[in-house]
Amino acid sequence: MRRYTCSGCSLLCDDIMIRSDGLFIDEVIGACLKGKERFDQITAKNRITSPMIRKGDKLSKISWDEAIEEVVKIIRNSSNPLLYGFSNSSCGAQSKAIELARSIDGFIDSNASICQGKVLGIANEFGFNLTTLTEIINKTDLIILWGANPAETIPRLLNKTLFSRGKFRMTGREIKTLVIIDPVKSASFNVMGVRDIALQIEPGKDIELIQALKEECCQADSIPSEGVAGIDQEDLKRILLHIMGTENGVIFLGQGILKSDKENRLIREILEFIQIINSKQEKGRMSLIMMGGHYNMAGFDHVSLSLTGQVGGLQFKEQNVINGNKSIVTKINSDDFDCSIIVGTDPISHLPSTLSSKLSKRPIILIDNQMTGTAELADLILPTAITGIECEGLAFRLDQVPIHLEKILDPPSNLPSDEDLLNQIVMKLNEKGT
Amino acid sequence: MELILNTVRKIDYDQTKEFTFGDAQSLEEHLAIAFLNPKNAKELNLTKDAHIKISNEEGAIIVKATEDEKTPVGSIVLPVSIWANQITKIEDTEIYYKNVKVNVKTTKEPITKYKDIINKIKGD
Repeated sequence: MRRYTCSGCSLLCDDIMIRSDGLFIDEVIGACLKGKERFDQITAKNRITSPMIRKGDKLSKISWDEAIEEVVKIIRNSSNPLLYGFSNSSCGAQSKAIELARSIDGFIDSNASICQGKVLGIANEFGFNLTTLTEIINKTDLIILWGANPAETIPRLLNKTLFSRGKFRMTGREIKTLVIIDPVKSASFNVMGVRDIALQIEPGKDIELIQALKEECCQADSIPSEGVAGIDQEDLKRILLHIMGTENGVIFLGQGILKSDKENRLIREILEFIQIINSKQEKGRMSLIMMGGHYNMAGFDHVSLSLTGQVGGLQFKEQNVINGNKSIVTKINSDDFDCSIIVGTDPISHLPSTLSSKLSKRPIILIDNQMTGTAELADLILPTAITGIECEGLAFRLDQVPIHLEKILDPPSNLPSDEDLLNQIVMKLNEKGT
Repeated sequence: MELILNTVRKIDYDQTKEFTFGDAQSLEEHLAIAFLNPKNAKELNLTKDAHIKISNEEGAIIVKATEDEKTPVGSIVLPVSIWANQITKIEDTEIYYKNVKVNVKTTKEPITKYKDIINKIKGD
């Protein structure tokens, strides 16, 4: 048996024991339900193993040469291509995709821009304190889950951070306080102990809560006696006491915050709140971790920053990035594209129907390894190997630490990796002189 | 009845898992489902195996309704799915997957089929 890193989610657990002969995986030890599903994808019944083209309502198999020709044909007929996805692709594939977008003067964006990428944009103005899992394991005494439900989204996160014993936290769980702020009593509430604080906030009132906490930080006894956002005054004072007294605290920001924030006001308030606490704290500090789900949700912005100096959506014109202030939402919503290249994601299912309908009206090239809502409507499907199992690659863990993913076995039908396939497309386009 | 919609990820109601290992029927069984507080369920006169129609200006879906003590009164929770995304919305440049106002009523109509959603998106 050998130890491998799991690419089932953004936690990238590096302690998964696997027995494999290079052809099949015989045994997986240590993976959570999501990790196990990732390894089961190898032989999933809906796995796509050959390129397909849509003829009418039906998808028909075609050869790889024909498929690449069709990709080139769609791109050559396009003057405004859109590339989207990449949170389930390696950094190498993301880099190659940016190269492709540059060469065809396209717009490229990742799933992160409608998720944790928002925080990076705002952090440009405020700055923010990051931390790593290692630091959390070894030092943290306060964990706040805000709009986050790791028990169901990143199942081993609490095993690693809350229940672990670290270098400076040898007594482990007993001296760690867990605070959960969520309108829904999620599965994560089940791990709470007597010292922990459960705050079931009224839906949509997080901003009132954060403003009350900020005010209390600056002026004691400013919390109204009836409480704020459905939370008692005493509970609010208790949580603030923990935050101000922590030696090393971390806030995990979940989808409840990242996906409900009007004009990013809430994220701004949270970043400001952390700045205030850290300026007043004498012995410790608070940090932030964004809980993106896909295994390389954090990677695209690192790659984009290193290649172009920018994060978020990139619009290329004459092979240079222009400041178009566009996002994937505005591009699709304003019909500002004439074909799409989707990699490793399912926007037809994941975006509101207003956007998915508009996306479906233009040719879709899908690079993915399984049937999805997007595959149901794609004009062309090019399957690839599963990164971290059938090909290697680099990914950024949720705490922004780069982790190398190894290849365990060969892909079926010699499927290329996302990176190899995107490279083939770039080379074919160059060959044609476009 | 007006409720606040929140879409959430639930490990037993996982769209990616159903797309990878299931079929249209298992997608419908696991994802065309909504959770609401028993108090709201009572106000809607929900019976066992009843369906509810959830609608707003974005569209409408019919899903199974399940009573859930953990869902706050006044809220309705749907797993992240193609069903939920027929009623999530866009305002200006933002997508709203949470805190979306919806109207909910009981119905005897069958749940919205996966194929019907795909055809609607396609414009058929």
